[in-house]
Amino acid sequence: MRIEEYQLWGYFEWLIFKFGLLHGLIVAAIVFLLGFIVCYIIGIGRYGPGEGFFRVTRVIYELLARDLPGTSLSRVYALSKLAFQEAIRRKVLVLMAVFIVVLLFAGWFLDSNTSNLAKLYISFVMTGTSYLVLLLGLFLSCFSLPADIKSKTIQTITTKPVRPTEIILGRIFGFSAVGTVLLVAMGILSYIFVYRGIEHSHAARDMADDGKSGTTFVEASHSHTFEMVTEDDGTVKYGVTDEEKSHVHTVTATEAGDKTEYQLGKPEGLLEARVPVFGQMAIYDRAGNLSSSGLNVGFESEYQTYIEGNSLMSAVWTFSGVNAKKFPNGELPIELSLKAFRTFKGDIVTGVQGEIVLRSTDGLVESDRIPFIVQEFDVDQQVIPQKLSGTVINADGDPEPKELDLFTDIAKGGKIEIQIRCIDPGQYLGLSVADLYLRAGESNFGWNMFKGFLGIWMQMVLVICLGVMFSTFLSGPVAMVATLACLILGFFGNVAMDVARGDAPGGGPIETIIRMPMQTGALVDLDLGNPTLETAIKFADQGVLYTLVTFFQAIPSFGQFNTSEFVAYGFDIFPGLIARHLTMTLCYFLLCSIVGYFFLKTRELAAA
Amino acid sequence: MSATSAAAQASQESFDHTDSNVVIETRNLGKTYRDFWGRKKVAALKSLDIEVQKGEIFGLLGPNGSGKSTTIKLIQGLLFPSSGRAFVFGKEARDVTKNERIGYLPEESYLYKFLNAEETLDFYGRLFDMPAAIRKERADELIKMVGLNNSRRRQLREYSKGMTRRIGLAQALINEPDLLILDEPTTGMDPIGSREMKDLIIRLRDEGKTILLCSHQLADVQDVCDRVAILHQGELRELGRVDELLKVRDVTEVHAKGLSEDLKSKIADLIKTEGGDVVSIDNPTTTMEELFLDIVQDDRPGSRPSGS
Repeated sequence: MRIEEYQLWGYFEWLIFKFGLLHGLIVAAIVFLLGFIVCYIIGIGRYGPGEGFFRVTRVIYELLARDLPGTSLSRVYALSKLAFQEAIRRKVLVLMAVFIVVLLFAGWFLDSNTSNLAKLYISFVMTGTSYLVLLLGLFLSCFSLPADIKSKTIQTITTKPVRPTEIILGRIFGFSAVGTVLLVAMGILSYIFVYRGIEHSHAARDMADDGKSGTTFVEASHSHTFEMVTEDDGTVKYGVTDEEKSHVHTVTATEAGDKTEYQLGKPEGLLEARVPVFGQMAIYDRAGNLSSSGLNVGFESEYQTYIEGNSLMSAVWTFSGVNAKKFPNGELPIELSLKAFRTFKGDIVTGVQGEIVLRSTDGLVESDRIPFIVQEFDVDQQVIPQKLSGTVINADGDPEPKELDLFTDIAKGGKIEIQIRCIDPGQYLGLSVADLYLRAGESNFGWNMFKGFLGIWMQMVLVICLGVMFSTFLSGPVAMVATLACLILGFFGNVAMDVARGDAPGGGPIETIIRMPMQTGALVDLDLGNPTLETAIKFADQGVLYTLVTFFQAIPSFGQFNTSEFVAYGFDIFPGLIARHLTMTLCYFLLCSIVGYFFLKTRELAAA
Repeated sequence: MSATSAAAQASQESFDHTDSNVVIETRNLGKTYRDFWGRKKVAALKSLDIEVQKGEIFGLLGPNGSGKSTTIKLIQGLLFPSSGRAFVFGKEARDVTKNERIGYLPEESYLYKFLNAEETLDFYGRLFDMPAAIRKERADELIKMVGLNNSRRRQLREYSKGMTRRIGLAQALINEPDLLILDEPTTGMDPIGSREMKDLIIRLRDEGKTILLCSHQLADVQDVCDRVAILHQGELRELGRVDELLKVRDVTEVHAKGLSEDLKSKIADLIKTEGGDVVSIDNPTTTMEELFLDIVQDDRPGSRPSGS
């Protein structure tokens, strides 16, 4: 998994410095401006400019002055309850049965020989849950209102003192409640499934070395070897197995008569929620000067930048708050997920080599180089001991070797710099700010899974909001297609955005249409032998693309809300990220409700 | 029918909608259905001017497609007028707060079939923001009143048409409305139910409520309505008090018993010699039906001259 830079932003950092608030306001402004213009044009067509303007503004006035203040919680509750009852009596609980059946038989089909069973199980349950719940939200929200209009039951509702706001809120809340109930049940079952699925133990066999080491029987497609620790008084009580399939077991030795029995505990290290601490990254160029970015090695990775081996190029992360209190074990665990880019095959067995140097921020204290080998497809865990050798620049400005303490000597005032270099000449290391982090501690796995499910919940609420909004003016199936389109665009928003921004090679839609019959390569400039025409085409494309960008920006990027990878890969989901997603969900909820209100308010409900 | 036309014209004088005795008022109310492109399809209602006074039972009468339902929907804001305006309790039809005082029984009791009678009444009661205790009490009262006490826990999908009508009526009365709008209230009801419905309508009128009902059950209209408006092809054809409308001013009806054929012919002769015309000497018929047919007897496809 890769953690994107934008995921690291704190809540307020995102809201203000990364223009989250501004972006939201722009989307809202565009939607309302566009809505107003379109409605006014329709109004002119029907009633003339004066009367049309009056009618459009009257609807806005009625929302603010009458319907919003007149919205009653009791009615919203009644309509939510109705939506809930409707869903339950439409037997949505069948979905729950489907989920249970899937879970019951999943064990047969999931590959138990995988290197990390927990990752597989978590991904499976969370993906399964999100598909089911999103589909549920889609169907419930898109078909309910059109069905009510068709069966005319809506007429009995709207002839009561019910505001359109209440109809929309009632649906959104009611269906969200149904989804929440199902999601909670699925979440609990998922947790049990994952927990039970990975649980296993081994029996010890083949003890050697006078009962100090041994191997285990095969269980869950693997076995371990283990070493016992000899206490000061010569007794052997505890030991630990080697890491196999991403976990270890604790071994306990008990005396039973004249025999020693060895028992292995539960698997450890599978259900994790690591709390990473990220820093700021700076890149230094070949001459060792600060640079804005590293090298571009071509179309390799969108987010990583590269540093060259055997040169002064390096990447330096600065962390703050590093002290003995935060890392009570007396060591600093660092995790790396770097990429290697080879310009020649090199020593393929060993891999590309790098080195870590820890340094105080004033540059006076520096540790010795700690070499490592880049693990390209896995997280590389490095544990820096508290006592390490290094150099201190003395009063004369010369480095002087000294035994250093990590927290008191290097991390003075809690600040520390960690420098990464590539050793191998001609090879490159790809890195981004999220590729090196300190592992500050552990959060509770169950809590983290809850946060992951919260992400699914937010996606579901978004689908429901969109579905209800579309169903205020479209028929059921059309509303479903529209919501589905948003869902797909939202999930694969990056591709759509690349096309819309013009980042994808080949130009905009018009240019692409011209290129296709001409069979010109996408990376070659368009050549029609007429510069004016080419400019005109590019200009027209820009217009189309700009509209598309605006359009895509208004669609919630569903993919962003999916934090199940964090859970599966054992990262604690950042609170800032959750807060941001909750804010976005709230904004879309408001936006969809308001848009839905205008459609419902101006619709003749009896004319269907 | 010159006399009734005069009555209709008299009531078409313009009205101040703030008059507290006028419950419903329509001014030049019209509705033209348009297709997707805004082209005219049907003029369902043309320039309707009526007002319904407090405490009366007002009937809207007309054949299918005459604009009755359109009028009712325009008055309730379910449709938007193409021309003119409608006021209820002095408020614009599109203002939902007017609904606080309205009870509406739609044509086919559009209710949620997955709810039972109790849940239905509780739900609609909540929409009026009624406190739980009052809601429960009122629901109980109404269920007993409409005679559904034995089926109160059954889902509405199991209800017969008549039972659905009854629960529909109960939901219309949940808020103790001042104005009751009933769309074909007796359809699907057996004769006893129909009788009960009519008695209830009269009782509610006597309690001071205003009732607007639309029907093509002429007998019903004749039995209960104080005033009627007869619509035909979207136009108002007659409007006035039922007894006035049905009084045929140039015809004299004599009720007598035990006349011999000889005496009957003598009376006929006497009328002739005095310059009168003998129209018929016969038993009287349901004159509402005659009046109705008289207005509606154009050749139209799909006409339904009588519903009784």
